[in-house]
Amino acid sequence: MATPGKTYKRLRNIVLAWLTLVVLGGFLLDIPRINILEHTARNLYFHVPMWFTMMAAFFVSAWHSARYLSSLDRVRDTRALEAARVGAIFGILGLVTGIVWARFTWYVGQGIWWNFDPKQTMAAVQLLIYGAYFTLRASVEEPEKRARIAAVYNLFAAACVPFLLYVLPRQMESLHPGAEGNPAFSDITHPIMRVVFYAAVIGFIGLFWVLYTQRVRLAALNERADDIPES
Amino acid sequence: MKQPFTAWLAGAWAVFEKDLRLELRSRYAVGMLLMFVPASILLILFATGQEPLSPRIQSGLLWIVILFAASIGLGRSFVSEEDRGTVLLLRLHTRASMVYAGKLLFNFLLILLLETVAVFTMIVLLNIQVAHSGLLASTILLGSLGLAGATTLLAALIARAATRGPLLPVLLFPLLVPLLISVVAATRHALEGGFGWGASGEALTTLAAFAGVVITAAVLLFDFVWND
Repeated sequence: MATPGKTYKRLRNIVLAWLTLVVLGGFLLDIPRINILEHTARNLYFHVPMWFTMMAAFFVSAWHSARYLSSLDRVRDTRALEAARVGAIFGILGLVTGIVWARFTWYVGQGIWWNFDPKQTMAAVQLLIYGAYFTLRASVEEPEKRARIAAVYNLFAAACVPFLLYVLPRQMESLHPGAEGNPAFSDITHPIMRVVFYAAVIGFIGLFWVLYTQRVRLAALNERADDIPES
Repeated sequence: MKQPFTAWLAGAWAVFEKDLRLELRSRYAVGMLLMFVPASILLILFATGQEPLSPRIQSGLLWIVILFAASIGLGRSFVSEEDRGTVLLLRLHTRASMVYAGKLLFNFLLILLLETVAVFTMIVLLNIQVAHSGLLASTILLGSLGLAGATTLLAALIARAATRGPLLPVLLFPLLVPLLISVVAATRHALEGGFGWGASGEALTTLAAFAGVVITAAVLLFDFVWND
């Protein structure tokens, strides 16, 4: 794991080249001008994939926590932690891009920064859970105990979170697609926007994978460095 | 030779009975909750003054007081075992699921007591009108089941962690957001009246499902917390 293989390097380069193309395409390709949205519609390529990536990171983290409890392999714990860390960064970016986007389009005259949107609330709750997970880890010294306790909390959170998907949309109105009369892609969405959007989702999940594997490698190297006795 | 299930029930009951007896001896948790709830409701009264509160705000305040009281009052249930060094004995004599079930029952009853006190204090101090008491009772019953299920597991987690005090609210509150939303919606219906059972059916089924999922997950995960 410490030295990356050829396939890993090749895949990493593909991800980076792919993301460069996505960013270029996202900013340069022509898009239809929709009233209110105008050029901010390009945020679709960046804001929405952040959310997808955070959910993917959450699943990766929960999966490795479950594997940790069944195998008690330290690497699993490192993987769960690093997936959560990178996922939290994507979550913060998704929340910030969403808040800024809504502030300067829908709420431009009202000065509202935070609205009680189900998806926004869920992202905030998810970030709180990540924060609790990191705080819990910081409070335990012994590595094995820390790994076990953190894994239990991570899985318990994974059991509770899906309720938000069910509960929140019934309580709150939403700006987000999926609500009534607000499909994810409508007829006015240009076909090229779909292509760039899907490419961006794949690209940002790829970026997550690159960052996450690099962090896991770094953690493994640090651990190995700790094992070498000082002379 | 007892049947396995009756043996399990007897074990869980023994854990519950032990906790109850210890609590009746010291009256620490009950005393603290009985002080905390009226004190925080009095604070709400001073902070809001004569301003009439809408049922939505009343039900929100009620449940926030309950969540805070539960998160500081129930955190002790496993810490005290660690402090007294009785964990090893419990581990030798009972299975993990028995301990969880016993503690869950004890915490459930404690939360029910706490909620009853909170509701009556609010009726007296904040002039809350209860239009639909059956709905309120079933909301409280289902809500405390989920609350007790989550708190019991997390209290066991905290007991293993080094810094025990303020960690439980941090861990508990994000997980209880779905519970809080449903329970506040159902309580508001019960206070306002004119809604009946049908309107709150969704909130009540969500509460029941939440309690089921939380307790199932907690029973599955408790083994890993309890055993070394």
